[in-house]
Amino acid sequence: MALAERVQSRREGSPWTGLWAVVAKEMADHLTSARMRILEFLILLTAGGTVYVAMQQIRSAGISEQFVYLRLFTLAQDPLPALVGFLVFLVPLIAIALGFDAVNGEFNRKTLSRILSQPIYRDALLMGKFLAGLFTLALVFTAIWLLIFGMGMIGLGVAPGSEDVGRLLWFLLATVFYGGIWLALAQMFSVVFRQPATAALASIAVWLFFTVFWEILAGLLAQALHPIQFGLAQEILGQAQLQMTLERFSPNTLYAESMVALLNPTVRSLGLVLPSQLQGAILGTPLPLSQSLLLIWPHLTGLIAVTILIFALSYVLFQRQEIRA
Amino acid sequence: MKRLVALLMSLLLIFSLGVSIQPAHAQDTAPLKLTTTYPGVVVGLNEGVSFDLKVSVSDAPRIVKLEVTQLPEGWTATLRGGGKTIQSVYVEPGKEVSVDLRLDQPKEVQSGTFNVLVTASADGLKAQLPLQVTVKEKQPARLTLSTDLPTIKGGPTSTFSYDVTLKNEGDEDMIVSLSASAPAGFQVTFRLGAQDVTSFPNNARETKRLTVRAEPYVQLEAGTYPLKVTVQSGEVQASLDLNAEVTGQPTLSLTAPDGRLSAQVRSGRETPLKLVVRNTGTAPARGIKLSSSEPNGWKVAFEPESIEELAAGEEVTVTVKVKPADNALAGDYMLTLRAAPTGSSTKSADFRITVLTSTLWGLVGIVLIAVAVGVVLLAVMRFGRR
Repeated sequence: MALAERVQSRREGSPWTGLWAVVAKEMADHLTSARMRILEFLILLTAGGTVYVAMQQIRSAGISEQFVYLRLFTLAQDPLPALVGFLVFLVPLIAIALGFDAVNGEFNRKTLSRILSQPIYRDALLMGKFLAGLFTLALVFTAIWLLIFGMGMIGLGVAPGSEDVGRLLWFLLATVFYGGIWLALAQMFSVVFRQPATAALASIAVWLFFTVFWEILAGLLAQALHPIQFGLAQEILGQAQLQMTLERFSPNTLYAESMVALLNPTVRSLGLVLPSQLQGAILGTPLPLSQSLLLIWPHLTGLIAVTILIFALSYVLFQRQEIRA
Repeated sequence: MKRLVALLMSLLLIFSLGVSIQPAHAQDTAPLKLTTTYPGVVVGLNEGVSFDLKVSVSDAPRIVKLEVTQLPEGWTATLRGGGKTIQSVYVEPGKEVSVDLRLDQPKEVQSGTFNVLVTASADGLKAQLPLQVTVKEKQPARLTLSTDLPTIKGGPTSTFSYDVTLKNEGDEDMIVSLSASAPAGFQVTFRLGAQDVTSFPNNARETKRLTVRAEPYVQLEAGTYPLKVTVQSGEVQASLDLNAEVTGQPTLSLTAPDGRLSAQVRSGRETPLKLVVRNTGTAPARGIKLSSSEPNGWKVAFEPESIEELAAGEEVTVTVKVKPADNALAGDYMLTLRAAPTGSSTKSADFRITVLTSTLWGLVGIVLIAVAVGVVLLAVMRFGRR
């Protein structure tokens, strides 16, 4: 008890002292690492290719609509999917690559004790590593975002409208936090597993599960939990509703749906729409940005909240861990 | 007595024989013949007349001399053939030669019957042709305009169309021109057949059926508008009075006070909109019923629900309470509002209603993030600073 009190008394001051030093150091490491270069090259290639193709299509088809910049992100031409299609699986890969050896890498290099011997709490270390990863992601995506805007301005010769910019800024935010989830997850595995390879594999496994299997599983689960016995419309509706709800547990679905709502202003609903709800509706008219945001607000806040919660979990795990080895 | 009877009988016999034989004999055997198809004509004052004379011989080719031997005083006669003035013709047997005789009246001629005698002579043969010209005074030129329906009723924008008969009562062909004087706001056109005309030939004694169309190009007040149609040819003219009786008609228009037919409405919440019902017509509108066709599940209420009477040029502001369905999706919807007066056409206006969904769930999302941050803070408080 006395020891505990002594320990307690030593724990004073802000737990975040030295946080920004860690962030700066970690970002410097990230941005100069060979791993990052490869990923940057990959994403640059995809962005350049898809946007170029989209631009060609816009110009040849003479598309002149209100939201031409949004079309840069969403136009696809076989065999190349649209940029957003790539982002759904590229973003997790980058995030995992940034986070899978955050803690266990330090541990294995025996540098963790050395860092913690500095006047830095573990809190600041983990938080700093996470924020550095998030900032790196944000930096990379912002750079690509600006690059696409620049290409658009040169290629299309139209200035983007405020609605375009607003929607794409929110899209950027969603992308960063979609990456944030996978970053926090990879960091958690790096706390849990001592081997970086195991942590990477575990993260990839989760990613694969949500990318490939969860949709199938959601369908099967919905069928099992909400079987269609009499073929009533209500039953079919209920099952579809359940399947949709289950699918939304996947961050991929959340991100994909928020992209659809943000980049396609004419989308009015992401759920099931009854024909009666569309009676009298003027179809094809764009929603104002605020309404599109309301539509994906649960998705967006979900992505952010899950990112924070996974971070909290890894924080608790890290704090309780024995690191003197 | 018996002798007398016998003499008469024989005379009759000879005469009848002579009659029966004579025409054939005369026709076939008269060595020189001068004929015309219509030896008697009627002409107007100061009008020339021409006869088509035919000369023929039966036995041998001859040169026939033609002469007008009897002519009323002051008249001139000209014989023409082959484009020249002639005196004689050369005729072969079995062939008929046509000669044109033209008679011109003197200037101060009186009406009456005049005799003309044409004589043809050749080698001692002689043929005469008496002609008769009756000069008659002509009917004075006169035009009449008439219609069966001089007054037509119509709405403030309808076209008034009158069937008018124009008759040239004189004996002269004339070219008539039409004109009309109408009150301001009317455009009058004349239609003959299917074409708009202002001037056309109308022959002597000819009747033409015209359509006079008066088209208002502004909305007319109720009342009677006189139209005057005049037809003129030289000094001759005739006119006809027509009436267009315009009855008033209410015309409604639906707008918003600021003219903007769009509004933003929160789903599940009642929002009042202003609707302006205006009578732009020329008669009061009565018993205007307001109705709407709205998307499923929406509630639309009017206040007031109906308007008793709306005088011409007046307007009334109606409050429309729109409540979208609770589960309405965000976006634009079409809301049609209607005003139906009794005895006139319904007017409708389409409102574009933008449905906004509640921001309540946005707050829930913020709370969710706050909870997540709270969890981190709790963890820091419990496990922090190691």
